[in-house]
Amino acid sequence: MSDPILTACGLRKTFLSGDRRLEVLTGVDLDVAAGESVSIRGESGSGKSTLLQLLAGLDAPDAGTLAWAGTPDTGTKRRATFLGIVFQSFYLIPELDARENVLMARRILGGIDPEARARADALLAKVGLAERMTHLPAQLSGGERQRVAVARALMNSPRLILADEPTGNLDERTGDAVIELLLGLCAETKTSLVLVTHNAAHAQKTHRQLVLRGGTFAHG
Amino acid sequence: MPWYLYLALKQLFPTGRKFPFFTAISVLGVALGVALLVISTSVMGGFGYEIRRMIVDTQGEVQVRADGLINDSVGLQARLAAVPGVVATTPFAEGVVMLEHERKPAYPAMQGIDVNRVGAVVPLEKFIRLGRLEDLDDDSVILSSKLALSIGARLGSKVEVYSPLLLEKLKNDEVFLPRELRVVGIFEVGHQQLDSSVVLVTLRQMQELYGLGGAIHGINVKIAPKADADAVASLINASLPPAARAHARSWIEANQDFLFILQLEKNMIFFLLTFIIIVSAFSVTSSLLISVVRKTREIGLLGALGAEPRQVAACFCFQGLLIGSAGTLAGLALGFGTLHFRNALVEGFTRLTSSEEVLTRFYQFSQLPAHTAVGDVIMIVVCSVVISTLAGLLPAWRAARLKPVEALRNE
Ligand SMILES: Nc1ncnc2c1ncn2[C@@H]1O[C@H](COP(=O)(O)OP(=O)(O)O)[C@@H](O)[C@H]1O
Ligand SMILES: [Mg+2]
Repeated sequence: MSDPILTACGLRKTFLSGDRRLEVLTGVDLDVAAGESVSIRGESGSGKSTLLQLLAGLDAPDAGTLAWAGTPDTGTKRRATFLGIVFQSFYLIPELDARENVLMARRILGGIDPEARARADALLAKVGLAERMTHLPAQLSGGERQRVAVARALMNSPRLILADEPTGNLDERTGDAVIELLLGLCAETKTSLVLVTHNAAHAQKTHRQLVLRGGTFAHG
Repeated sequence: MPWYLYLALKQLFPTGRKFPFFTAISVLGVALGVALLVISTSVMGGFGYEIRRMIVDTQGEVQVRADGLINDSVGLQARLAAVPGVVATTPFAEGVVMLEHERKPAYPAMQGIDVNRVGAVVPLEKFIRLGRLEDLDDDSVILSSKLALSIGARLGSKVEVYSPLLLEKLKNDEVFLPRELRVVGIFEVGHQQLDSSVVLVTLRQMQELYGLGGAIHGINVKIAPKADADAVASLINASLPPAARAHARSWIEANQDFLFILQLEKNMIFFLLTFIIIVSAFSVTSSLLISVVRKTREIGLLGALGAEPRQVAACFCFQGLLIGSAGTLAGLALGFGTLHFRNALVEGFTRLTSSEEVLTRFYQFSQLPAHTAVGDVIMIVVCSVVISTLAGLLPAWRAARLKPVEALRNE
C-alpha cells in the first residue's frame, strides 16, 4: 500500500490568552489515504479551523508530527503544489477577475504559460463559470465566488484539498451544489479531501466522518 | 512578470475601473512636487546664469591688478597676449571722485577705459541706453542711469568733477578748478550697485584726474570661448615676472562669496521643496498602509497559496516605486511645460496684478530667465523615485509581517 497523503500524529495546540491556557487540541491523529475524502464536524470553537491550519502547515503544533505523502516538509514552497485550500469566506482578490484569481495560484509558483491559461479556463468551465471568467468577485454571487475559490484550489493539481466550512456563508441550495462540485472534482482527479462542515448531510457524502470533541476525535 | 509586480499593477489599476482615484491622486502629489522643483531650480538657475553673465560682461573674465600702479601698461599687455587662452586685453584706471551737477553732488567710482580696446573685452556697447560709446572723448563722461537720475543730469548736461588730486592742490594753496565734462551717454547694466555708482571716462582723463601719468590700475582680459577662467588666470600668474608684482584673478575667484551665496540659495530652495515630495510620500505611505490593513485576508491567502513574505513586501514596495516613477514623469512634463510657457504665464500674472513695470524695472529681464542644469534634473528624479519607494517600505514591512494564520483567523 502506498504512503497516505496526510499523516498527523499526536497534534497538540494550546493557546495562551492572558493567564488562561486554552487547550484546543489535545492529541489528534489523522491519516488520509490517496483519493479519500474525510469530513470533520464539531461544535463551534472545538478547534476545527486550528486543526486545519496545522494540517496545512500554516501554523506549528506544540507537539506531534505531520507529514505530507510521507515527507515531513510542510514549507511554503511545497504547500503551493501539494495543497489546495478553500475557506469559508472565499478570499478572492477583489482587483482580479475570476480567471486571474484562479491563475494567481500558478503565478505564485513562478509564472504562467498558455497551458496554465487553458487549464484555468477549463477549471472555470468545470465549476460552471464559463460565461463569467472576466467578472470581478464583486460581480459574482456567493456561490459563484466559492466556485472560483474551488477552481483556484485545484489549479496546481494538488494531492490534497483542505476545505474549512466552504458552505458556511452560502444558502442551503447553493451550499449543496458547491459540495457536490467539490466532491465530484476530487473524485474525478483522485484528490484527497478534508472537509470541515457543520452540515451532517454534507458530511455523510464523504468516505469517512470524524467528530472533533474535547480536543480529539470522538469516532461516530 | 513575477506575480507580485503583476498584483501591484492590478492594485494600482484595477480591472474594469476607468479612473483609479487612489493612484491618480498619489501620482499627482508626487508630480506637483517634482514640477515645482524643476520650475524653481530652473528659474533660480536662470537668474544665476544671468547674473554670472552680467559679471563677466562688465568685468571681463580675468582681471590683472598690481599691488601699486602698473607703469608698463603696453609691455604687460603684450606679455598677456602671449598667454594661451587670452584673446584680448584692455587697461583701466579707477577711483572715487566727487561729481556735481546743478549743486547736486554724487561720489561715484570713476572708470577710465580705453575706448579703442574696451569693446574687444566687454560688450559695454550693449549697456549704453542713451548716446554712444564712440562719442566718449577726453572732455566727456558716460553716467550710469540711476546716478544720472539722482543728480538730474541728461545727455548734453555738464557735470563738474573734483578728484583727490584737486584737493591736494587746494592744500598747497594752488589754483583750484574742477574739471567740466559733458554727458555723452547713459548706461544701464541691470545691477543696482553698478547702475547707481559708476561713471565712465577715457583712460587718459582718469590718469590726468588722478595724476597717474602713463600708469594704470589694472587690465581686463578676455579669454577664448571654451577656456576655463581659473585655468587662464593661473597661466597668466605663472607667466608674470615677480618684479611686476601683478596678479590675475578670474571672475569666479573675485566673486566667490557672491557665487557661493547664489549656490547656497539654490540648494536651500531645493532642500525645502524636496519636502513637498516627502509630504506626498507620506500620503502614499498612509494610503498603502490602509490598503494593507484592508487586504489583511488577501495577504494571508497569498501566504497560504505559497507566497513568500519578501514577495508580499515587494508587491507594496513596487507600488510606491510605480507611483514615484509615474509622478516623476508627470512632474517633469508639467515642470518643463510650465517653463516653456513661463513668459505667457508671467505676462498674464503681471497683467492681473498690473505690476508689469515693476518686474522689468527691478529685474531688468523682460523675460523670466530659466536655465535647467542636467545635474539638477537627475538629482530631482533620483530624490523623488527614492523617496516614493521608501514610502512603500513601511506598508511592505507591515504586510510581510502578517502571518497567514493570523490574517485568516478573522472569519
Ligand atoms: N491565536 C489564538 N489565540 C487564542 N485563542 C485562539 C487562537 N486561535 C484560536 N483560538 C481559540 O481556539 C478555539 C478553537 O478555535 P477554532 O479552531 O477557530 O474553532 P472552530 O473552527 O472549530 O470554530 C476557540 O476557542 C478560539 O477562540
Ligand atoms: Mg472555524
